[in-house]
Parts: sequence; structure tokens; C-alpha cells
Amino acid sequence: MVNLTIDDKQVTVPKDATIYDAAKAAGIRIPILCHDKKLHPFGGCRMCLVEVEQMKGRQIPACTTPVTEGMIVRTMTDEIIQARKMVLELLLLKHPIDCPVCDAAGDCDLQNLTYEYKVNGNRFQDEKFQHKIDYENPLIERDMNRCIHCGKCARICDEIVSFGAYTFINRGIEAKIGTEFDGPLNCEFCGSCVSVCPVGALISRPFKFKARWWALNKVKSVCSYCGTGCQLTLGVKDDKVLTTIYDENQGFHNGQLCTRGRFGYQFINSDKRLTTPLVRKNGSLQPATWDEALGLVAAKLAEEKNAGGKTVAGLATPRLTNEELFLFKKLFRDGLGSDNVDHSAGYAHAALTAGAAESFGGTASPATVADIQASNLLLVVKTDAYETHPVLGFEINLGVKRKDIDLRVLSDKRGKLSKLPKAVTYVHKPGQEVALVNALAQVILAENLQDATASGIDGFDALKQQLDAFAPEKVAAACGLDADTIKTLARDYAKAAKALIILPLGLGYPGHGKALAQALANLALLTGKVGKEGCGVLYLGEKNNSQGAADLGLFPTAGGADADAILAGCQNGSIKTLIVAGENPVVSYPDRKKIEAALDKVEFLVVQDLFLTETAAKAHVVLPVCSFAEKNGTYTSVGRAVQRVNQAIKPVGDARSDFAILNGLLAGLTGNAPYADTTAVFAEIAATVPAYAGLTMAGLGETGAILPATIKPRFVAVEAAAIPAESGKFALVTGSALYHCGTMSRFGEGPMYVCPEGYVELCRDDAQALNVKEGEAVVVKSAAGELKLKVKVGARMPQGVVFAPYHFGEASVNSIAVGAPVTWVSISK
Amino acid sequence: MSNAPAEEKPTEDIDLAPANHVIDKYLTLPGNLMPVLQGIQEEYGYVPRPTIDLVAERLNVYPSQIYGVLTFYAQFHLKPRGRFIIRVCVGTACHVQGAPRIVETFFDKLGIGHAETTPDLRFTFEKVACLGACGMAPLAMVNDSTYGSMTVQKVGEIIADYNQRPMKK
Repeated sequence: MVNLTIDDKQVTVPKDATIYDAAKAAGIRIPILCHDKKLHPFGGCRMCLVEVEQMKGRQIPACTTPVTEGMIVRTMTDEIIQARKMVLELLLLKHPIDCPVCDAAGDCDLQNLTYEYKVNGNRFQDEKFQHKIDYENPLIERDMNRCIHCGKCARICDEIVSFGAYTFINRGIEAKIGTEFDGPLNCEFCGSCVSVCPVGALISRPFKFKARWWALNKVKSVCSYCGTGCQLTLGVKDDKVLTTIYDENQGFHNGQLCTRGRFGYQFINSDKRLTTPLVRKNGSLQPATWDEALGLVAAKLAEEKNAGGKTVAGLATPRLTNEELFLFKKLFRDGLGSDNVDHSAGYAHAALTAGAAESFGGTASPATVADIQASNLLLVVKTDAYETHPVLGFEINLGVKRKDIDLRVLSDKRGKLSKLPKAVTYVHKPGQEVALVNALAQVILAENLQDATASGIDGFDALKQQLDAFAPEKVAAACGLDADTIKTLARDYAKAAKALIILPLGLGYPGHGKALAQALANLALLTGKVGKEGCGVLYLGEKNNSQGAADLGLFPTAGGADADAILAGCQNGSIKTLIVAGENPVVSYPDRKKIEAALDKVEFLVVQDLFLTETAAKAHVVLPVCSFAEKNGTYTSVGRAVQRVNQAIKPVGDARSDFAILNGLLAGLTGNAPYADTTAVFAEIAATVPAYAGLTMAGLGETGAILPATIKPRFVAVEAAAIPAESGKFALVTGSALYHCGTMSRFGEGPMYVCPEGYVELCRDDAQALNVKEGEAVVVKSAAGELKLKVKVGARMPQGVVFAPYHFGEASVNSIAVGAPVTWVSISK
Repeated sequence: MSNAPAEEKPTEDIDLAPANHVIDKYLTLPGNLMPVLQGIQEEYGYVPRPTIDLVAERLNVYPSQIYGVLTFYAQFHLKPRGRFIIRVCVGTACHVQGAPRIVETFFDKLGIGHAETTPDLRFTFEKVACLGACGMAPLAMVNDSTYGSMTVQKVGEIIADYNQRPMKK
């Protein structure tokens, strides 16, 4: 620790602190323009100039100067104020000062400092910049005339996002922030640059001219797309969510968001929202009153209850709040006497609900998000972890670049994570993950690299015996990696002091189920890398509340039918009534044909949704529900973080929350009084679900809580499913596109501007062999059907492997992929 | 990795083998971007766009950063340069000795301005601040050859001379 004096105040700070950090710790504010707590110090703007007595009164930048023992710092002398005024004068010399039409006004550091330092004139004169404004993309507007060259956009894009869209180009007075060849911006559109821009040089186009910053009501909430659980601040005016506001103090991610979080909010106030209940009359859906619609549903459920609850089933989306999911389960269990309840567990989250449940004794990851940066080695299965959970991707980037963490990627294709320094990507043949992970475990045992605790864990001997069949030499050919490479990876993992395994889950990854989750669990347990900081297995649940759905048992827990069996039941008549809350099985579950047939056949289909989805269009009753911005509740995200969602706007149209609907139906069926509010339900969750014990809604506060994990380890020997190869065909793997999550992002303008439709991605050589170019349409044909998709050509895919994202309703990839990890397809023009 | 349609890049049909060779030479050297770019300019006479994408991919550097480096240093050129680089000094000594008239005459005779290249890629013309030989003012240089005590007449002779010379090195 170092002691110093700032403005006559004694401060003690760690020796790697800067003067700026020390002042901040002492509650002394030093003005900044180019400094950001998330980025490396830059020292470009000279706003933070201070005087240090030992440096003979020289003015030095506080943000880049390390503290030394006994330093005496003054931050507000007359000379310093003069110097800062001049810095502002010089910045304003070129700045257009078009504040009346600038969206940053009110939230502009330059404007605020100009006001604070009373710079009401300028001693200098010069021409303004005449840079062309970049309107080429629909999300980020770049007006370099307003730029003050703080370089934050270029630095955040490099240091955190690792995309590197911007740099300083040219030199001297001509220098400006530009892109490659000074062309239009073409990037991931995560908007990190917009969030850190201290002026209005980078602004969000969807928000442009929508509202003045000070007129916005700011409501803190949690993003409702992927399972990362990013906190966000919604900018609300006149009961409309107009933007998301950057708050660098929010969440583990310090306010960082991805395209979905930052630009995908428009689904909330979309014109396509359902605003009134619909009831099927004479074959078509007609607007109806809530009394009529709920009356029909209640009557049908009463009938089902009397019939014993065997012929009713429910599918709920893990996008609902914990309270809603709890009521959904309770409606079936207590109200109807049925266990036929599922979210997309069987298809997407078996890794948690079955895999982790057996291997670790609970349906949660034995690791948290904080473990990513605390580790020494990350073993990421599929580079898609960046696509499915971009903000966790930023955490990985930061860990690898700042903390020198080793990154090993086990994937069927290369990706953005492969480009990080020190990243080693092991590109294996599609669908071979389990065999490979078993081979890693085999090497660890064969070379005696296991932890001393391993042999004491249940199932050790059986595992040891079973793994013999997976010696690297035996699986190498099938996996497409040579035995020595597999051995090196196994040794690296075993020898790392701390190592964390990351596995993305989701409807797009049918191979990432129970078996893979358990194979990875075995690996972690063998090497004793569980239950310690920086270790464990982090299963990345796909949706915002996937972890909550697993915690609350939104899957058959008493022998009921799972999603697959429910749909089969609809088809064969054993399920007569189906309630679908927010799920869109037609597009997102495997085998579209089968699902459509089943939903066409079921006697009574109730769909609760925001939109008239492909599934809702088949319903007998459609109930319009509220988005996350219209309700209170909690979500549980990756790494067991429970956080509060706060209502920002009134329900759109006549929509009611799933909570209100389920609460009413449950009370009607049981004869009990309905719950007073979400707090009451959360209290019951805390009382009945062990992991939530002791939590209260109020106690969660703004930061939320991390649920405890009790680990009861067990080795489960898993067999690798054979992947029969078909010669002359392409291996199609499905997954998530960077800009989308599930099927909801299709209603967000941002993601749809950037990625409006499905595509099939292939490598340059394959494209050349097929004689197709980027953007051309091809017919992709599997045993289940065929699809017309546009081609995307890139360096990511290995030869013979093609990728297609699953989010889209038209030409949905589930009409050719029916749930196998690899689908063999032929591609023709 | 945007999914937006790739921007149409002006296609330059160039052989990437020399660029690959340069990269091979410096691949393991720390801080190799500058020597690689210099080597590529040596090979092609300028830094062609496809080589930038190649360098970005092989050295794992963002293309934007390479572009930043290329535009920062005056030594790099992003457009093809002439076979013969004519440089005329406009420093103080040359200026008082009539350099502006020499420059004007070159402009007239070549039909190009400062830092431009003739369409046949024979000549590139540049004004420079000082060539460090004030005693020979006004001074011009063509590649490595120096021409002192320049006159308007000499301009025509120099151009005629270099028009005769072969384009191949």
C-alpha cells in the first residue's frame, strides 16, 4: 500500500493504483474524457491534469500516473482550472457544437464539462471538420465531426469486444477514428462503442430523435434474451421503451451488452404485439374478451382435472420469470394433478436437468461467471459460446488478453474465440464431442494425472473400465484429431492449476445434452477441478431463465411426459389439452413436420405469447401476455445468479402477464385465494426450493444474489453415440447466430436489420466446388426435407461441414434437421 | 463476423505469392507488422488491398489497425505508384531559385498534380520539403538520380529521357 495526500486528504491505496484511482477512492472527482474504468489508461484528453508538489508543480495526467509514497497532489488549483479550460476550448474549436440536435445532449461529457468549467467563449478560431457522416448501417451512426479523439471506441472494440472495427487513421490534424479503408462500419454491432462515446459522435440510430436524454425514465432490469443475465437500464418515455442506457456500474459485465441487449428491445413495443385475446371460431382466430377466452380455458382445465389430469400437458418457455414458472408447475401439479410439464429441457437443457443432476447432484452448474476470469485455463466446447452468450464471450476475451488465461477450444468449426492470442482450436469432426472428451479422460487416467480425490467418488471403477474403449488411438480417426494432439490437450487441462469448462446449450445444439454434460463433468471430477475458484463446469443455459426453469423443476419430475412425449401424445390422442406458454415449438423444436402434425391434431391448444407465432396460429385460444418490461419478478441466469426484473411500462394493449393468467387459473382450479403478488410467490419459492432458501425479493436488491451449489459428485460412464457418415454429403450442424437468441429476437428491429434471415455457411473451397457465391440461394436437402437458404462463405467452416442458425420461421432449419447432432445434407444450386 | 452482406471490395487481381513469401520471412519475429508491410511495398511498389487482408489473416492483426499504420506513415502507398518517382524540392533555397516554376512545368507536361501518378503508371510526381542539397538548388530527383540547377528546359529533357526507358526494372 502507498500513502499519499490529495487535496489535503490522506489516502492509502494499492501500489498499482494511479492518481485518478486514488482520488476516486478518496471521493475526489477528477474530470475525465478519455478514461474508462474498463479500459487501459490512455492519457489522451488531458482533462485529468493535476499538480504534484514533488514534480515542481508540473501538470501531469492523473489517469496514467502511478502513485508514489508521500506524493502531494492538488487537483483544483487555479492553474489546473485554466489548463482544463484550455483543453475544452481546443476541443470545442473543431467540435460542431450542434447540441440542440445531438442525441447525446444531456448525457454528453464534453457538454457537461464545458458547463462545469464555464467555457462560454473561445480564444481560438479554426474551421470545423467536414467529415462525411456514416449512415450506411441501420444501428450505429458515426459523425466524426463531433469526435474528440478519446479513442475509447477503438479501445473497447479491441480490448473487450476483440473485433477491432476502429482505429486512428491518418496523422496530425487529419487524424480521425476510422474503419478499415475508411469504409462504412461493418461489425458485430454490439454498440459498445456507442455506450462509451463521451460525445455524440457515435449514436444509436434506432433511438435517434426519439427523446431527450433527460426526459427518459430510467428503469433497471435484466435482459430477456440469453442466459447470461446482463443487467440493463431501460430508457422509458410515455409507456414506451425507447432505448437501453449504458451504466458502467451495472452487473459483472460493467454495463457491456451485445447487439440483442442493446438494439433488440424493440420487440417490447412492436406493432406485431398481440393486444387482445383470440378465440378460434369457424376455423379462424377472432378477437375475444378476456372473460370469454379465460372462461373457455378454465372450463377445459376443470374438465381435464376431473378426468384425472392424464390428458393435459404444458410447455413453458424458460423466458418466463421464476414466479411464473413456479405457478405454471403448480397449476399442473396441484391444480390439475399432472406431471406432463416441460420447458425445452429434453431438447435443449438436458445437460442441466439430467446431466448435472446426476453428475453433480443438482440441476445447476458448479461454477459461476466470476470463475471465468479467475481460471488459468478455459476449455470451451464449441466456439459458439461467443455466439450464444456474447457478453460471456467478452469475459473470455478479457481473461485471455488481460489475465493471460490459456484458451482451448474444442469445436467442429473455427470462430471468433479461435482468433484470440494463445487460443488453440481443436477442430474435430461434427458430433464427436463425447468421444473426444472421453478420450481426454482416458488419457488422464492412463497417465495417472487424476486428482487424489477422484478414486473416492462413486462410479470411479466403472468409469475407468468403460474408458478403455476411448483410448486416443482408438477414437482419433473418427474424431479427425490425431492421438498426440488429444493427449496434449488432456495434459494441459489436467496440469493447469485452475481450469474451467464452458459448454453452451440450446435448441440449436442437439448434441449438447446429457451425455456431453456428463462426459465433461467426469473430466472435471477426475482432475479435482470442481468446487474451487476458477474451476468447474459452466453450463450456459440458452434463455434468460433457463437456470430458473431447471431449479423450479419445469420438467417431468414424477414420471410425466416430457416435451417429446407430450408432442407424441398430441399426435396419438393421449394428450387432449395443451397449454403452451411462450414456447414456439413449430420453429424451434426439432422436426417441424412432426410438430405441426401434432399441434394440428391436439383437441384444445392454448398459447400464451407476445406475438402470433407459428405455434400460436394453430391455437384454439391465444392469450396476449406481457414482455419483461411490463412485469416484476426474478430471473436466474448462468452461474446461478438470481436478479430482479422491474416493471418499466404498463402492459401493451389488453395484454396480461403470464403471472396474472396462471394465478387466476390456479385459484379457479384449487379454490384457494390467488397470490397477492410476485413477492408472495417468491417467498413460497424461497420456502420450498432449497437453493432459494433465505432469499427475499427485497433482499435481492439491485445486484441480485448467487445461489449456493451443493455438489454431490458421481461418475457416470457415458457412451458416445455413433455418427454414421454419409459419403458425398455435407455435415450440417445447427446453432445460434450471433445476433439472435431463440425465436424472440426476430421481433427486435436491431437483430433483424443485421441478420434478417436464415443462411447456410460453408468454407471457400466448398463454395468454389459448388460454384456458389456469397448471397446466392442453394437448396439444402436432408432425408427429412429440403430448404432454400442463402449462402454465406467464410473461413470458419472446415471442408465438408456447413452451419445453419435455427431462429427463423420461414425456411426454418428444423424442417431438415430432426434432432440429431449432425444432419447429412446435399447442397445444390 | 457480421452477417451483413460483405461490402463489395474493388477486386485487384494480384499474385499473392510474393506477399506470402514476405510474411513467411517475418512470421515469428515480434513486432513484425512494419517489416512485413515494407517488404510488401518493396515487392509491389505499393500495398495492394488484398495483401492487407492477407496480412490481417496471417498475422492475426485487425485490418483496421493495419490501415491505421499504413495511413500514419508517409512511406506507405495504397495506390500503384509510377515506375519513375519525380521529386522536386520546394524548400527555402529551391523556392527562391524558382522551384515553383519547375513544379508548374512538370504539372503541365505530365498532366498530373502533386502525389499523382500518370495513367500509364510511368511517372509519379511529388513536391518535397527539402532534399538536403541546397547548394544544387533548384533540385529534382528521379528515383535515385539527382538533377541540380533545374531549368524549365531541363524538365522537358528529363521527361523525354525517362519516356525512352523501359518500364521493367
